[in-house]
Amino acid sequence: MATNYTISTQAYFKLFFHAAKHPHKSVNGVLLGNKAQNGTITIEDAIPLLHHWTSLSPMMEIGLDLAGQYAESSGLKLVGYYQACERLDETALAPVGERVAGKVKAGFEDAIAFVIDGEKIGTEAAALIPYVSQSSSSSWRPAAGSAFTPGSPFQLASSDLPVRAIAHVRDDHLHHAFGDFDDHLEDVSIDWLRNRTCIPADL
Amino acid sequence: MSLSSALQQLASYRANNTRASQETFKKGVTILKSRNAPNLGEDGWAFLEQLALASIDIGRLDVADECTKQLSEKFPNSPRVAVLVGIRKEASESPESVLRYYDGVLEEDSANAAIWKRRISVLKRIGKTEKAVDELSKFLDTFYTDVEGWLELADIYSSCNQYTSSLQALSHALVLAPQNPFTALQFAETAYTAGDLPLALKMFLVVTEMVERDIPAPEDSAPTGISVRAWWGVKLCSRRLIESPPSSPSASDTPVPKTIKLIDELATERVLTSYSGEQGAEGRQLVSQWISAY
Repeated sequence: MATNYTISTQAYFKLFFHAAKHPHKSVNGVLLGNKAQNGTITIEDAIPLLHHWTSLSPMMEIGLDLAGQYAESSGLKLVGYYQACERLDETALAPVGERVAGKVKAGFEDAIAFVIDGEKIGTEAAALIPYVSQSSSSSWRPAAGSAFTPGSPFQLASSDLPVRAIAHVRDDHLHHAFGDFDDHLEDVSIDWLRNRTCIPADL
Repeated sequence: MSLSSALQQLASYRANNTRASQETFKKGVTILKSRNAPNLGEDGWAFLEQLALASIDIGRLDVADECTKQLSEKFPNSPRVAVLVGIRKEASESPESVLRYYDGVLEEDSANAAIWKRRISVLKRIGKTEKAVDELSKFLDTFYTDVEGWLELADIYSSCNQYTSSLQALSHALVLAPQNPFTALQFAETAYTAGDLPLALKMFLVVTEMVERDIPAPEDSAPTGISVRAWWGVKLCSRRLIESPPSSPSASDTPVPKTIKLIDELATERVLTSYSGEQGAEGRQLVSQWISAY
């Protein structure tokens, strides 16, 4: 039986803003959440890591460690990984993505990875392609079946999240203030773990 | 915003090669509409090129066409305008059609480096990575001093896990631009990704030295900017080298420094100091926790 995953508003907005801030680059980050009593994995938050030298690992490792510590202190676990590719038509999980997702899976059995669909992002579609793997050392493959449609094991907290995210980028420019770990390394005052100023008040 | 300050901002974007396309378009299109462009003198043409590129970037091909038209009329048969025309084509024509256009231009003028690079970037974009690497290597044989080309080659190799080749390309970039700490940093991070910790450590330290060279007493102030990243790199490497001393020599035969424990202590102090001010207050606890986890 397939595991169910729900992406919260905050998590979706954050990964959307990350991609929107660097439209011509690859970006990646991790997902935080928990497994509920009924077995559903709720993805509560997203923490952005890199938008620069995304094939190189040292800063990603540090960022991953710090994100993991932050998760623990907030009662959450690292449950997944997301990335957006440079090219619109590229939907594969990069080798580096497989490595990070593998690490997350070693700590959380139901870990999930999402690749942002460059062709669909900016429409009302969720534009996320889920990837799953059998074990932390095996390769990741696109999850079978459709995603983010009625009845699919992958759901958004509410179906209007993509449209709302677009409005927040286009009209409120919330993504301008968004900072990831790369930004934080240049200026330690950047709030990469929470990105408080980018979360709309009416979440 | 006045016309002159808008022009100044755009000029500074050009000088720094900044890709702030939304901003550039907003300011640029006002200037274009005011019909002042031809009166901007020499800069006017660079401005039109800049606006064309920004317009293509955000999808306003109509404005891009207006700019390109003016430039083509003023500079017929210009190699530089040919590049702009090519980029405009990339936005709406098929990759095969664009490649044919670039091949055509190169046939007439094989020394047009910019066109060659555009061709390579199209190959990369359509996923023909091997061909792109091949072409880029040939390009660099001819245009050896093109630092950007070496960095691009390094990046492509890294994305395919070919770290040794990436480091070789970065070595060339370092020879050409030895004062650029970002190149040394990319080298350090690539070496780390390749598993060569002693080499990575050495290069991270080189970065800190390059950046702090002009600071009179760096130990008395908190690291900022690229230093922070470099010291984090030193800390990561020294920690791992102390925890699991390598049993075999590194791929580059770089020795582990005898003073590794002292380096680790220094890096610890430098990283924590980066978070010591008001700026770093939020992150400090998490960072201390990470540091004391070992």
